[in-house]
Amino acid sequence: MNGVVGEIAGSVRGFLERVGAMTRFFGQVLWNSPATLLRFRLVVEQVYNTGALSLVIIMTCGLFVGMVLGLQGHDLLERFGSEDALGVGAALSLLKELGPVVTALLFAGRAGTALASELGLMRATDQISAMEIMAVDPMRRVVVPRFLGGVIAMPLLTAIFIAVALYGVQLIGVQLLGVDQGQFWSQMRGAVELGDVNEGLIKGFVFGIACSLIAVFEGYNAAPTAEGVGRATTRTVVVSAVVTLVLDYILTALML
Amino acid sequence: MKQTLEPAGAPTAAADANNVAALHGVDYSIDGKPIFHKLDIAIRRGEVTAIMGPSGTGKTTLLRLITGQLRADAGRVVVDGRDVAQLSRRELYAMRRRMGMLFQNGALLTDLDVFENVAFPLREHARLPERLVRSLVLSKLHAVGLRGAARLTPQQLSGGMARRVALARAIVMDPQLLLYDEPFAGLDPISMGVVMRLIRSLNDALGISSIVVTHDVREISQIADSSYILSDGRVVASGTPAELREHPSPVVHQFMEGLADGPVTFHYPAPDYPAQLLDRSEGA
Repeated sequence: MNGVVGEIAGSVRGFLERVGAMTRFFGQVLWNSPATLLRFRLVVEQVYNTGALSLVIIMTCGLFVGMVLGLQGHDLLERFGSEDALGVGAALSLLKELGPVVTALLFAGRAGTALASELGLMRATDQISAMEIMAVDPMRRVVVPRFLGGVIAMPLLTAIFIAVALYGVQLIGVQLLGVDQGQFWSQMRGAVELGDVNEGLIKGFVFGIACSLIAVFEGYNAAPTAEGVGRATTRTVVVSAVVTLVLDYILTALML
Repeated sequence: MKQTLEPAGAPTAAADANNVAALHGVDYSIDGKPIFHKLDIAIRRGEVTAIMGPSGTGKTTLLRLITGQLRADAGRVVVDGRDVAQLSRRELYAMRRRMGMLFQNGALLTDLDVFENVAFPLREHARLPERLVRSLVLSKLHAVGLRGAARLTPQQLSGGMARRVALARAIVMDPQLLLYDEPFAGLDPISMGVVMRLIRSLNDALGISSIVVTHDVREISQIADSSYILSDGRVVASGTPAELREHPSPVVHQFMEGLADGPVTFHYPAPDYPAQLLDRSEGA
């Protein structure tokens, strides 16, 4: 019994230590961000690496999520004779929930793992140490540009995901299942407010901060071994997914 | 066989003016395991100093103490007359700009090509016109014989070439002190000879000081001015390579002759072999 209690206490302590270390790391990232922003070229490179290189997967998944939403939404609304409301229903669910959340999960899987493994390998192959010896602060040169790149890219990817998903809904709902095109778009324009768009973008921005921070933290602090890099990559995906869903609930509760 | 160590022959490190770096009575431990105890080492200006010793004696840790990446638990690490532990972050970085380090695997930045790797410290620290950066980088690459490889990526380089590129990067800021971490490990005889000659010629041509951490006794004996042998957390012998070969310590003799067994035992401490084989209580 004592062993079980001890193990639980150890796990809780380990968890709290990790949260503390990440909070401290976040403080360092924020402290060094202004200096890194002065070298904006480094940030732009990372917006390309995390954002542009994730476009294909984001757009492909967005299209299929939209098409599924079109099928399911039409099936549901048909039961109430409200197929024309497909546009507004899909738009609100994509803007407020599906868009930011699914984009964040995809971002963690594609860009987050790339960031974590890259930083972990840099640690394992002494590239981080080499920078320190060259009097170059790896936090400013490597970590912060990648963090800021992710933070900038995430809301943009969210917007692109939502736009492509809406096209997918329209493709299935209007082109395939015969929902009236005029009703589809006019109801959407009438019901969707600026606040709904902002909600999606704010969530995208917050998820971007969370997922990018987790990826650079796990990668930068990875054990300098193959196993350490693998573990950092796995933790990036798992922790990002959990944190995204928890934050989603908190943000939804705050913004409703 | 029990390890018996001769008294350390380390010179007193009082004359810091003649030393580019010195460790005075340094203690250092990792997770409670002592690595160094009362370690005294002096690196004289203008010389190639070898730090040798069996694997796991903390040779690389010693370099990290000198660069300020690690802090000693006790004692002082002095570089260029200043106590590393007393330096502010800004001063520490200023000190590192006067150092270069060659890592065992080169530690080239994998997202940059050879030219940009060598140019990296210049671009980070000096706002120089591109023409000047180009001529500086090409001159350093020429010095290590790799001017023609300027546009190759690190993945296209052999181990020896990667180390030479890293050497060009280490000297591009004209350092006063060059640190080498196992520069000969894993190299073929030709590459080893090239790196060996480069260490000596760069030290003399640039008027710098070099610390070479290695366990390649034969190679380093040809180029080192003085050597230290570490074992069990302290210096067991120091002097010129010729003096070390005549040293009475059995540890030094074992190390210099490359003997498999001796004061440093072949077997990791273990229970009696037949008794362990017959012990059925122990799992497979």
